[in-house]
Amino acid sequence: MAHSGPMTDWRKAKLPVIAFLAPATIIYTLFMIYPLLDSIRLSFYATPSGGDAAFVGLDNYRTILADPDWSATFWNSFWNNMKFFAVHMLIQNPIGIALAGILSLPQLRFRNTYRTMMIMPTMLSVVIVGFIWQLILSPVWGVGADLLDIVGLKSLFGPWLGKEGSALITLSFISVWQWVGIPLMLIYAALLAIPDDLVDAAIVDGATHFEVFIHIKLPLVLPTVAMVSILTFVGNFNAFDLIYAVKGALAGPNFSTDIMGTLFYRTFFGYQLQLGNPHLGATVASLMFLIILAGVLFYLFAIQRRLARYQL
Amino acid sequence: MADLKLDQIRKSYGAVDVLHGIDLDVKDGEFVVFVGPSGCGKSTLLRIIAGLEDITGGDLMIDGELVNTKSPRDRGIAMVFQSYALYPHMTVYKNMAFGLKLDKQDKAAIDARVREAARILQLDQLLDRRPSELSGGQRQRVAIGRAIVRQPKVFLFDEPLSNLDAALRVQTRIEIAKLHQDLKSTIIYVTHDQVEAMTLADKIVVMNGGNVEQVGSPMQLYHHPETRFVAGFIGSPAMNFTSVTIDGVEQGKVTVSVPGGVKSVLPFDVPASEIGSQVELGIRPEHLSLGDQGELTVNGEVDVVEKLGDSTYLYLKLANGDRVTVRAPGHSRVKIGETVTASAPAGAAHLFNGQGKAFTKVDCPAEFSAED
Amino acid sequence: MNFANIRREDASRAVIVHAILLTYTLVALYPIFLVVINAFKTRKGIFKDPMGLPNADTFSLEGFTKVLAKSNFELFFYNSFTVTIVTIVIVLLLAAMAAWALSEYKFPGNTVLALYLAIGIMVPIRLGSVSILNLVVDMGLVNTLTALVLVYVAQGLPLAIFILTEFMHQIPKDLKEAARCDGVGEFKIFFAIILPLIRPAVATVAVFTMIPIWNDLWFPLILAPGDGKQTITLGVQQFIGQYVTDWNAVLASLSLAIIPILILYLIFSRQLIRGLTSGAVK
Repeated sequence: MAHSGPMTDWRKAKLPVIAFLAPATIIYTLFMIYPLLDSIRLSFYATPSGGDAAFVGLDNYRTILADPDWSATFWNSFWNNMKFFAVHMLIQNPIGIALAGILSLPQLRFRNTYRTMMIMPTMLSVVIVGFIWQLILSPVWGVGADLLDIVGLKSLFGPWLGKEGSALITLSFISVWQWVGIPLMLIYAALLAIPDDLVDAAIVDGATHFEVFIHIKLPLVLPTVAMVSILTFVGNFNAFDLIYAVKGALAGPNFSTDIMGTLFYRTFFGYQLQLGNPHLGATVASLMFLIILAGVLFYLFAIQRRLARYQL
Repeated sequence: MADLKLDQIRKSYGAVDVLHGIDLDVKDGEFVVFVGPSGCGKSTLLRIIAGLEDITGGDLMIDGELVNTKSPRDRGIAMVFQSYALYPHMTVYKNMAFGLKLDKQDKAAIDARVREAARILQLDQLLDRRPSELSGGQRQRVAIGRAIVRQPKVFLFDEPLSNLDAALRVQTRIEIAKLHQDLKSTIIYVTHDQVEAMTLADKIVVMNGGNVEQVGSPMQLYHHPETRFVAGFIGSPAMNFTSVTIDGVEQGKVTVSVPGGVKSVLPFDVPASEIGSQVELGIRPEHLSLGDQGELTVNGEVDVVEKLGDSTYLYLKLANGDRVTVRAPGHSRVKIGETVTASAPAGAAHLFNGQGKAFTKVDCPAEFSAED
Repeated sequence: MNFANIRREDASRAVIVHAILLTYTLVALYPIFLVVINAFKTRKGIFKDPMGLPNADTFSLEGFTKVLAKSNFELFFYNSFTVTIVTIVIVLLLAAMAAWALSEYKFPGNTVLALYLAIGIMVPIRLGSVSILNLVVDMGLVNTLTALVLVYVAQGLPLAIFILTEFMHQIPKDLKEAARCDGVGEFKIFFAIILPLIRPAVATVAVFTMIPIWNDLWFPLILAPGDGKQTITLGVQQFIGQYVTDWNAVLASLSLAIIPILILYLIFSRQLIRGLTSGAVK
């Protein structure tokens, strides 16, 4: 149903309109926008021990990005985060798209049941998911080995979560297991919007269901695929819960699972040997914000503008 | 081009029967129109012929081959959809070339066919446009072009004119008729509009509730409807119906009491068992004229007057409450509230029994019978 | 189905399709299933027969009793429940008001304000945590559920306002005009007429808001980690950290955390999916 914009002039109703808008705007500004801006402000300050906070310009940024004590950790966490993101883009999203494509096939029986079951992991807490997989993959329990045995791959089993070379990838896969539901649902919704007539026309033109998906459905949902990609990016660079739950704030072994979220937490709150430093923490947060902003702007200007949304 | 044979085609969705055994023969090059009210099953039948729906029972043959289990691409059909179903992300050219590309034809052959179809439909200038940049009529033609390019054995049209405005509808109707003359293709066309059916079809299949009511040429259906349903469906404005009582039966003649007390003798073969029963009399508005010169007479008070310029429609209310429409000349001066007498030649009347079946007319005059 | 008329390709395609879907469903559900069935076993049962259902020998509730005894699970549950419900109510009310003002009244800055409020959908609120904690400390609200509610309300408002604004655009103009003709005041129009009309969207917004709150670890960890104020997610995380070798207890606590959400999900899955699919395609 087409809708027009706001219709009523507010001049006769100034008080109610303000009353309607104020509470939400105030809480939102106070607890979301202001802290963000304040964090950025804090990143330009430092509090020497015993002293007051003083403006230090870009010193904190220099420290995090270039100082030998800090930069190695920062860049390590940045690249780990990129690897984390890559796994999601290459595994989670294609699987989500493929499953959405299958679910959208006409005359599929039990469609809704499958859909409900397949997105159940997405409903769980990330923490819970982390623990579940930690147990399943634990060599002590052995269930993981037994499961792999069923498909004849028992020899591949190992303490993946505990090994430096495989911990991050394993955690990435666990995260993918949990979050496939999101691209699945969003792409599925977009596929549903495609009129049946188009699919029929393609079938009459001689396309198999696979060809219909590749030539007709996928091009028409590309805007949604792009949106899913940027949501993945933002979500991945904001991730924390899973690593923290499974590996703690130290994100071991040997920082191999450290991503920006855990770095932020550690810098801000401190851990065993190091005191928390709110200014450096704020700096890490601001850098995270910049990275995410860069991604979002790239998406908005380079990608979203080029992708036409077709009137269906 | 090919012929089609439908043999007792049945379709059910679960426990619901939608088509109850359709028999039909379509000859090569015929323009066949499925017509009927919403829900009569015509679109379902078309989709079954296309292969978009499974057949629950019966056999479908195209060009002598049984195609029940064949996919649409293997049936040699092409379809034009009501919504045109053009691929929004492809240019007109690509839309038309899509099927051929899937078929892995070589580029030169595809190009030739697409350009030829574009020429026939005057789409040459539009090949690089997207569907969103086209008007409704242009999209229509692209949809038809997409079908022509495949050089199918049978063309299927699913209410293609429904989404066009009235003027465009008439124009496109003529273009489709010319297309049929040029291509000499077998066409199956679905519509709910009986004007389209009458003007385009070689053969009309009137459907109702999943059954075929009657199959025949437009003139056959107009002059010799076999059921009350067909009589009321074909012709615009619709045929008038009123209940009459059978007073007497003779060889080839029947006497009926028309409301208003007038008795008329009509040329129908009616069994004696029907004496005293109520049957339905049908007479078309265009066969009634003011005055009492015809054998069949009705009287009534004029309720509504519709002036169209070339003719005037008078809506009469009869003594028994039934309404009758009379087509009077355009210059008629009859006013609302006047009581008028209208009459028609006995040979123009139709009579239907209690089950809606037509009684056989005897010695039908030439002007009320279909040319054979 | 008339099997004589089904194409061979169609039949084999159906088999492959269902095989893929079933496999993936198994992958999605089996880990959850494993955890829940093993929570009901003895320690020996867990290790000897991890993939089997609990039987007469292995069935045991010792995990659960331990969890309920050694941790304050009811309290965790109560905290999560309170925070979630209070947040949802506040979000719904405030978002409805804001959405109504944005969609109904023409005023300078309407579009800018709408955009401002919508940015929050993409902005990760956690990045401001340093300042949020300072703010909470300054307000004296450390280790209170109130702090959590305020933060979650701020987090949930942007999406809720977005969803409700779209929804309100579809309320027929005639309803609003009729009410105005009757001389009803603006406040009354909102509370008596509009608010009841958004009931279909309420379930969607509620589910959308509820799940991230219930499952969140970050803010309970930072703002309210103190004894007595933990939410379920934090409580489970701390409990497992403490009793990591006690498999029964660990599995039981995980199950206790999972089951309420799963039940809620199964009840509300239709609304959730409808909300995800309708709002997100824009």
